[in-house]
Amino acid sequence: MTRNILAPLTLGLVLLFLIGPFIIIVAASFSAGETLAFPPQGFSFKWIAKVFTVESFRQSFGTSLFLAIGGTLAALILGIPAAYAMSRYRLPGAETVRFMVSLPIVVPGIVVGLALLRYFVIPAGVPILLALFLAHTALILPYAVRVVSASLANLRSDMEEAAVILGASRIGAFVRVVLPNIRGGILAAFILGFVTSFNQVPVSLFLSGPGVRTLPIDMLGYMEIVFDPSIAALSSLLAFLSIGIVLLAERFLGFSRYV
Amino acid sequence: MKWHTVLSSAMALTLGVGGAAQAQEKTLTISVYAFAQDEYNQILYKPFEEKCGCKLVVETGNSVERLAKMEANKAAPVVDMAVISTTDALQASRAGLIDTIDTSKLSNYGKLYDIAKDPNGDGKSVGYTFYATSIVYRTDKMKITSWADLLKPEYASHVAWPNITTNQGPPALFMLGTALGQTAPDLKAPIAAIADKKDDIVTFYVKSSQLVQLMQQEEIWAAPIGRFSWAPFAKLDLPLGWATPKEGQTGGMNVMVLTKGGKNRDLALQFMDYWLSTEVQTKIAEAMIDSPANAEVKVSDAVANNITYGEDTAKNLKLIPAAVALDNRDAWLAEWNAKVGQ
Amino acid sequence: MFHNRAEAYALALPAAVFAAIVFLVPVGLLLSEGLHGPGGWSLSAYVQFFSEPLNQKIFLRTLKLGLMVTATAAVIGYATAYAIVSMPAGTKGRMIGLVVLPMMISPVARTYAWIVILGRTGIVNEALKFVGLTDAPIRFLFTETAVFLGLLQLFLPLMIISLVSALENLPKDAVPAARILGANWLQVFVKIILPLTREGLIVGGTLVFTGSLTAYITPAILGGSKVLMLETLLYQQVTVASNFPAASVIAFLLIAMSFSANILLRRIATARSGK
Repeated sequence: MTRNILAPLTLGLVLLFLIGPFIIIVAASFSAGETLAFPPQGFSFKWIAKVFTVESFRQSFGTSLFLAIGGTLAALILGIPAAYAMSRYRLPGAETVRFMVSLPIVVPGIVVGLALLRYFVIPAGVPILLALFLAHTALILPYAVRVVSASLANLRSDMEEAAVILGASRIGAFVRVVLPNIRGGILAAFILGFVTSFNQVPVSLFLSGPGVRTLPIDMLGYMEIVFDPSIAALSSLLAFLSIGIVLLAERFLGFSRYV
Repeated sequence: MKWHTVLSSAMALTLGVGGAAQAQEKTLTISVYAFAQDEYNQILYKPFEEKCGCKLVVETGNSVERLAKMEANKAAPVVDMAVISTTDALQASRAGLIDTIDTSKLSNYGKLYDIAKDPNGDGKSVGYTFYATSIVYRTDKMKITSWADLLKPEYASHVAWPNITTNQGPPALFMLGTALGQTAPDLKAPIAAIADKKDDIVTFYVKSSQLVQLMQQEEIWAAPIGRFSWAPFAKLDLPLGWATPKEGQTGGMNVMVLTKGGKNRDLALQFMDYWLSTEVQTKIAEAMIDSPANAEVKVSDAVANNITYGEDTAKNLKLIPAAVALDNRDAWLAEWNAKVGQ
Repeated sequence: MFHNRAEAYALALPAAVFAAIVFLVPVGLLLSEGLHGPGGWSLSAYVQFFSEPLNQKIFLRTLKLGLMVTATAAVIGYATAYAIVSMPAGTKGRMIGLVVLPMMISPVARTYAWIVILGRTGIVNEALKFVGLTDAPIRFLFTETAVFLGLLQLFLPLMIISLVSALENLPKDAVPAARILGANWLQVFVKIILPLTREGLIVGGTLVFTGSLTAYITPAILGGSKVLMLETLLYQQVTVASNFPAASVIAFLLIAMSFSANILLRRIATARSGK
């Protein structure tokens, strides 16, 4: 009997803890006051409106969007074949490949950012944007491989073997048999990679230069200067955008099965 | 093969994104403090871009961080011109990162207050603004007549103090030392006094903007700040005052420097000259951002009350000479870390 | 299974080589920087680093907070995941959605919300005053407690999600059967739940621990310079002091801690399961 009360109570408290800050941010976005406060002082759209007038946000939003989309696509281009090789081929050294590819999860982002700055950007003259792109691609790679591997594991391999035996080329079999069946997994990996890249701070901390900054770094910089609720407003807008994308994906593709 | 595809598509995208910036031929890369960028954009950057038909690329951050970047990029400078603190300018000068400024190309140079003309005496920096550093405090909760008042037992737990690594840190410690009757440049006495109260003091702040939030939440009642961050406090619906301690106010000056090896020297000088012009300096002062270093600037009393204004004010500030600050910086940091840091 | 080895390598190598070039090479170079002394290879940077009491303290604090956040997340994570898994399918999906929700908001903003919550006049202090637990407001901001709460809120969802997927693989009647046979809850957890969910615990634990080692914003904003952690110290060493040997030492410590945590969790989980 006690369990019946205890379980929902625990869950309720945990959700309050997790979602509380989210509610405060959303509430502050519509505040009429000059600082972040809860309960908010009055109601207005002025901070939401202000977000669109800050020029650096537009620029860094573009940079972040490019990194999230480009980085995730690149990670998928690298990750899907690797996941396929590891699940369908007898691959000596598969463990090494798996280890290499999952390194970005265990190596702290701030270290990676600093290392790229010290050894790519400064001595080799690699442009900051390219360094950011490489770092974000590498960061997303483990998620891409993991999620795609999971969906490949759920797909029986005799289908494509049959296709090959029946005369299809290996690539043809992959494109026509495998790809359509792991579509959902790829989309899940894309969304996961996109969100990871878009909110990434530590890697990008050292990788900013004149005119090149990711949105979270720009927000951090903005907040170091101005302490008004426009950051809350921007965060809420971005959150609702992400939630919208996830809900659409869920609705049309049953996204949650893959995460 | 995949690697090449990725790289080349990345390059293509990169160029696509950067294309807009490269469409115009001349670009000037400047490195500035991050605050009030919207206002600078209106008053300074946009009008200058129109005037010169060039494109400004702006890097922002605090003085120390941007100096570290300049040092890292020494071999292939990215930035053409930077604005930093006098102490950092002296460090940059000693490290061979900056060049002598040809002041004959600056038509507005003669209009500057004397103290702004060549603050480090090496011909490599020109002051564009100076500021007072004193204490912002809740007039209803406390009375501040001395820098030492901040450490009174009933006040200390409502105080934010600038970290040693900020521009405000050493000057504030220097004034505290003065209040304690200890003016040795090693700052040992004031650091020890702060260390005594380190558990009471709310935070050793790095970014002054955070203080506005902390003040509004009544987390703090007082903090030493530079006058340039006063405006957002004035907007709060709280009884806040600017202390005039009996030991006086301290402060600092920010200067313009030219990166050694910078490619767009003439354009950088044009930009500096424009920034120092009476027109731009007046507008920036009226927006309550930077105090003017140009003596021709006249502002209303309302504005003058909110910024550090006039040569007399500037002369009365108790400043730490850049050379003293630079020569002692490592020792201060070590002392601070040993006493206050843990 | 296909057997064409050349084909397999052609598929797998680009990803591995990419990770090596972008990760291994620069990170390896960075780590080697801390091993150079005045006359060739030396550990002097490490000796120097650890001879400063402040650095020792920061190292221990980072380790302590990381472990505390991971352990707390595991305990809360099991309780929450168990509650979620026992729900009907529709509600379950919605609950998972709510758990994931905070991950959609920028960590920058999430961390700032805590400044409002934990302030002297914030919700937590008002609530404590209301229940009569305290008269004077308690100071949370710029303490280890604030950093702990911020990190927990940031990474708890990862633990819950990992454990939910692990618990779903638990046979439905395993727990009730053990209870009928007289096992108490602790025995059920140690003998049945833990062994069967160890993969989830490892994944979740590693994500939470490495997450709390790598988070920069939370200690920077909620801890400030009074609660320096290795990541904020690294940033300070690079941007303020330009001390790259020290930065290299910190980088090594962070990587070593993260790897050891991974291995340790794997050990614990394997040992408990009796395999």
